[in-house]
Amino acid sequence: MEISRDLSLQEKLHILADAAKYDVACTSSGVDRKGKTGYLGNSVAAGICHSFGSDGRCISLLKILLTNHCIYDCKYCMNRCSNDVKRAAFTPQEVCDLTMEFYKRNYIEGLFLSSGVQKNPAYTMEKMCETLYLLRNEYKFNGYIHVKAIPGAPDELLAAAGYLADRMSVNLELATAEGMKKLAPNKNHKAILRPMRMMTDTIAQHRLAIGKDARMERGKGNKYLPGSIFSSQRIEMQQETADQSTGLAQDNMLPVQFKKMDWNRAFSPAGQSTQMIIGATQETDYHLLKTSQHLYQNYDLKRVFYSAYVPLNEDKDLPAPGTPTPLLREHRLYQADWLLRFYGFQADELLSMDRPNFNEQLDPKCDWALRHLEQFPVEINTASFDVLLRVPGVGPKSAERIVKSRRFGRLDFNHLKKMGVVLKRAHYFITCSGQMMYHIPLEEQYITRQLIGTNQKENWQIAHSGDQNFRQMSLFTDFQVQV
Amino acid sequence: MTVFTCEDTFEGMMTCIYDAWAARLGHKNVRLQTEPVLQQELFCQYVHVSGDTRKTEKVVRSVQRKISVQAYRRMYLAAMSFETDKLDAIYRFLVLGFAYGPDILERMSEPAVMRIWELSRKVGNEAHFFREFTRFTSLDGRVYVAHIEPKCNITAISAEHFADRMPSENWMIIDDNRRIGAVHPKNQPFYMTEFSKEEMDRLLESEEQTDEYTDLWKEFFRSIGIEARKNPKCQRNMMPLWYRKHATEFR
Repeated sequence: MEISRDLSLQEKLHILADAAKYDVACTSSGVDRKGKTGYLGNSVAAGICHSFGSDGRCISLLKILLTNHCIYDCKYCMNRCSNDVKRAAFTPQEVCDLTMEFYKRNYIEGLFLSSGVQKNPAYTMEKMCETLYLLRNEYKFNGYIHVKAIPGAPDELLAAAGYLADRMSVNLELATAEGMKKLAPNKNHKAILRPMRMMTDTIAQHRLAIGKDARMERGKGNKYLPGSIFSSQRIEMQQETADQSTGLAQDNMLPVQFKKMDWNRAFSPAGQSTQMIIGATQETDYHLLKTSQHLYQNYDLKRVFYSAYVPLNEDKDLPAPGTPTPLLREHRLYQADWLLRFYGFQADELLSMDRPNFNEQLDPKCDWALRHLEQFPVEINTASFDVLLRVPGVGPKSAERIVKSRRFGRLDFNHLKKMGVVLKRAHYFITCSGQMMYHIPLEEQYITRQLIGTNQKENWQIAHSGDQNFRQMSLFTDFQVQV
Repeated sequence: MTVFTCEDTFEGMMTCIYDAWAARLGHKNVRLQTEPVLQQELFCQYVHVSGDTRKTEKVVRSVQRKISVQAYRRMYLAAMSFETDKLDAIYRFLVLGFAYGPDILERMSEPAVMRIWELSRKVGNEAHFFREFTRFTSLDGRVYVAHIEPKCNITAISAEHFADRMPSENWMIIDDNRRIGAVHPKNQPFYMTEFSKEEMDRLLESEEQTDEYTDLWKEFFRSIGIEARKNPKCQRNMMPLWYRKHATEFR
């Protein structure tokens, strides 16, 4: 629907925020940058959430589309060209004003700029770069910017965007090539992976040039984890570069011909990320997790996001409208993703071809532990850091606390509780000074039953978060008591 | 038992620690408490200590030199807590700290050390929450005013963050309950100040200010939630109700 009358800023914001809400990434993390006099904003590596929406997702960035006009016809997308939705477009000034004014009121941590493809990828990317250039240089904005790279845009524009933004991302959309062909006929993996590869290499070059390690920083525990996905990463990266075009790394780089622009900015310092839609096609969790691992290792992505498919359009290739959103599955994937990045697990340890999907009842770590009971119980006072991290209920923080404090005295269960170990899960798998917390059999069936019992409520809540069947009864509304 | 009491200020607390230590009554025989003392105990002697800059400096210097700067940071955060046992906890922590030295913070199996971690973590987390959820209202674009009601005394801690973030704006953050505020004039360092009753009444009006951007923000906040994923429980978990009191989007 084309609207001829001019839309107010509020209407535009409504349309374009509404259109952007299915993008999942809303993190403002990965880069520390001090503020500057005369500029507005700084950036904190841990990331700062500023609010939480009605769906419980963090609102950290002003997440908007520059326009929801789109020439593509991806079947899962609300803004596909064949959909009859209200269309609008921001001018660069409007985006800058909104960002600056929101930022000054501490509503947001920065800008997340994405866009539908208007006219062609080059035109769209140019508009986005124009907006960012204006924001950084005219408006003197020094906060966080996340920008979507549009596959098919010229390399020069992608490079310019990388110098203006803190994080870039290209959406992988769907994990399988068949799914892609079926649901997004205008896109293909090759066209998506090419800019992703170029950005990876440009970021790596840039990091080397300023004296950092070529690879992105990872959770600090990773250096003590011999089996983590990042420890084998360097070798794989080297092999891959050797395979391609015999070391002509320059081919893979984005053109850096901005000598006259003394922006003095790093190229995409917070790295790049991507997102995949889950539940729209028939891909398995194993396939998704393998894809993520591949992306972390070979493309050095900072994050891979999973987006549970919300049925919006009616199409024979899609789940019917009204199909429940696979929230629990999405949750399990995120749990596994953390296990890859912070706990030293490999995708193949968690899932396999024979067991391609996660257990709905148990989280991936408990599930793994139950299949490897021969490695338990673990003695808290002597076990190494990587072994501690594999105990369900022990995370990187509590493992670090255990390792630090046990040098000064033996730990018991009370200490562990204070250190943040979740004993309701951990106590099946650990001993303190040779004793378990309760007298229980170390037997798969028994522990599974117990753990499922404790997890049941949590799982149910995640899967049924949308239902509003239960609420606290009140004397005043339910029984019309008058005071 | 001798109970040393002091005002709930950092200077007061440090002086109290100094005097309690210097009284040489034995660590077992003293207790430290911040005022107001709501209920006095029968067999205790109460000694009021008033703040002294020189003694404060001495305590701070010895903690930084003989224990560590990290220990000082933890102690400072713990001192900003609202818990009533904080001062005594800091004292017990320092007793151990001066005995063991720089690795004291890693001795988490000592209850006194764990208590400092708990207190300081609580304060640090709350300061972080207020970095997130503090909302400024613009008074004609000239000055930005925020009201907060934190449990712990974190105004100064989170003001540091905003001073780095908005160095070239005029802004102030006001703690409505403690009647203190951080005031930041454009391109200058911020300072802490106390407000009188009348000043507070006038300042409270500033929160009712709305402009175009408050409406736009509310619009954005409404639009960004996905109906199919609605989850108020998760929302409450992440942003508890008491933090929302001054948040524009929930007002």
